[in-house]
Amino acid sequence: MSEKTKTTSTRRDFLVKSGTIAAATTLVGTSAPRVHAAEDNTIQIALVGCGGRGTGAAVNALSVQNGPIKLVAMADVFEDRLAISYRSLSTQLTNKVDVPDERKFIGFDAYKQAIDCLKPGDVVIFTTPCAFRWLHFTYAIEKGVNVFMEKPVTADGPTSRKMFELAKKAEEKNLKVGVGLMVRHCKARQALAQKIHDGELGDVLTLRAYRMAGPTGSASTGPAPKGMSDLEWQIRRFHAFLWASGGAVSDFLIHNIDEGCWAKGEWPVQAIASGGRHYRGTTVDQNFDTYSIEFTFGDGAKLLVNGRTIPGCKTDFATYVHGTKGSAIFSTAGHVPARSRIFKGQNFNKDEQIWAYPEREPNPYQEEWIDLIRAIRQDETYNEVERGVKSSLVTSMGRMAAHTGQLITYDQMLNCDHEFAPDIDKLVLGGPAPLLSDDEGRYPIPLPGLNPEHEYEV
Amino acid sequence: MHPARLKMRTISLCLALCGLLASTAIAEHPAPLPVPDSTAGTEAEMKPYAELIEHSREKIPMVPIPGGTFLMGSLRREKGRGKDEGPQHEVTLSPFWMASHEITWNSYEIWMSDTDILRREALGIKATQRDAVASEFQLSKPTPPYTDMTFGMGKRGYPAICMTQHAARTFCQWLTAKTGRYYRLPTEAEWEYACRAGTTTAYHFGDKPAPLGEYAWFLDNSEEKYQKVGQKKPNPWGLYDMHGNVSEWVLDQHLASAYGDHAAKNPLLIPTTLYPRVVRGGSWDDEPDRLRSAARRGSGEEWKEQDPQDPVSIWYHTDALWVGFRIVRPLVEPTDGEKAEKWGKTAPPQIDEEK
Repeated sequence: MSEKTKTTSTRRDFLVKSGTIAAATTLVGTSAPRVHAAEDNTIQIALVGCGGRGTGAAVNALSVQNGPIKLVAMADVFEDRLAISYRSLSTQLTNKVDVPDERKFIGFDAYKQAIDCLKPGDVVIFTTPCAFRWLHFTYAIEKGVNVFMEKPVTADGPTSRKMFELAKKAEEKNLKVGVGLMVRHCKARQALAQKIHDGELGDVLTLRAYRMAGPTGSASTGPAPKGMSDLEWQIRRFHAFLWASGGAVSDFLIHNIDEGCWAKGEWPVQAIASGGRHYRGTTVDQNFDTYSIEFTFGDGAKLLVNGRTIPGCKTDFATYVHGTKGSAIFSTAGHVPARSRIFKGQNFNKDEQIWAYPEREPNPYQEEWIDLIRAIRQDETYNEVERGVKSSLVTSMGRMAAHTGQLITYDQMLNCDHEFAPDIDKLVLGGPAPLLSDDEGRYPIPLPGLNPEHEYEV
Repeated sequence: MHPARLKMRTISLCLALCGLLASTAIAEHPAPLPVPDSTAGTEAEMKPYAELIEHSREKIPMVPIPGGTFLMGSLRREKGRGKDEGPQHEVTLSPFWMASHEITWNSYEIWMSDTDILRREALGIKATQRDAVASEFQLSKPTPPYTDMTFGMGKRGYPAICMTQHAARTFCQWLTAKTGRYYRLPTEAEWEYACRAGTTTAYHFGDKPAPLGEYAWFLDNSEEKYQKVGQKKPNPWGLYDMHGNVSEWVLDQHLASAYGDHAAKNPLLIPTTLYPRVVRGGSWDDEPDRLRSAARRGSGEEWKEQDPQDPVSIWYHTDALWVGFRIVRPLVEPTDGEKAEKWGKTAPPQIDEEK
């Protein structure tokens, strides 16, 4: 299809031209397909959570070249974050940013006001810390708007159960929902996963995943500066606090854990793990500095995951697959490029390499948006939430195994009653935080063996 | 506080003017960390020395580079020459020390991840007055990245990479405060002068690239990654990896026509825009002609392409896996005024909005 017909096509054109799409939409059931109105095919975007990644996601969204798209509303809890984000977006993408002051919303309710600026068929971006995900998603579904949500999508059992339910509701409404496990959209990894699933490595027995990269994001965090409330600090430094983000495991290791599960083609049934805190100084975050997690799949195969945020050590940020007929580097270093390749033996010897992704890899942060917007314009079934919740839940299972010192099964994690932030829908600026410090300003931390039931004492 | 140092400071305090003015000056410029052979009053007294980074095990070997005059740039007949390499012109440089090796992760990570502070905390060591000054250039600088900045290519002994020029400049400010000796990036002229080391050929070993493998890591022998510093032969002045391994930041703005207006003595094109700024020496990812002594390259926005955050970080060039730096220290330290007006001057200001 030429660029011209692409941009001038209407929803009706697509239905007429593509019998399969027309047929698919009739299968959806009683609810009418909530796509953008035929007379105006502009997709409007609202950004909820204007931090660095949210702003980056908005840039990716507005860079999709298959029809008119614009940013119309922004929401954040903090005015300064929104201002920085707006300044950057409006400078880079002047023609695609239409967010006057009356569509900039501040506060814990701002997400509602931003979503209210959209019509069915538009897209809201959820890039707040994941604690808010189910709350915001609930409202988006109610309003019938499509969603892009960053990973992880949950950090505990109770909200995972909620999100599984919401995933179904979104499906029933034929909403298109992308989840920011962007490497699932990486062409090189996709090609390798297909080969593994086709049996080219034989039976996959062991997978190894590493994100040992020194201090990362806000995982290492000291006490709140004078005059800043606990709540504000915990949201600004969300990697530091389990309720907000699931901490370093959920926010950082999820990509490599997800790659391992993807390569294996299933989700693990249980995990054991170890980890600890080494150089803590004045930091008050709830993270360990090292995590070693062993996941077990139904057939007994293992996924070994290592995370470390201690500086000065050997670094590695990669995922490896070992099968009875060979091995593969699923991803080489970080997210881009994957440089996926297959080897005959188990040592990744260069002279035993038998396949490598042959082309230049497009940036998966952009690819995930191309796929989502295409699904919206062509009304393809598109809902990554269930997979995103499973990935988040499995990651939490590994984290909980480390933090409690116990073997944790998938079902235990799913049915775990510890909801980290049960009053997330009642937070107010100036109000109490979900995590309270003691008299000396210390927050509760995981105590493996001493707190075998919960990741921290509440 | 070490008693000897306390004494030294007391003496210098008495020698200084008096009262408030003197104590302010002392607070901003604490006495340097004593390091053998690190002081020289004249060019003749300059010796090689190993700079120490306190509260770590790391040393940065420095070698003296005599002052002198050389021909900067290349002639049109030089193979692979870029248009920005002319006109060839005479430049005179004051003496300085230069790091014999590219700055490694060993040193860079102390600043980047505060491992000297971690060591102090772990072992109960007190911070010095220099540390207090250094913290201004260290705490939350840079912000922690989201990825393994070695990209799986190795850490100990390997060159630090992917830093912006701003990050490299800030590292120098930190190191200056940390040691009490003034360090900065070389100017483009100093870099080329040191690389040539008295030679006038395309490479410091001759005009033909054939022996390059003995002196440099580049596309043909690097196995698609950087290599440990200092494994190849040095140039005549004892500098390793001037050709290849990682391209090296210098202070200058990149301007194709810069050489037409170059000052005859200690030239520096003070940057007024973020891009392009100059890197020198070529890298593991380059063809031989990019490694020539005169070859120049300008930085660009696309060096941050895969940064998933926006605004993009002021500290990391996530796509410049072949950019590093080395440091210099002039024999005669410029005054604070000269630093502000020339050596440390750069625009636009880099404001970290991640903090």
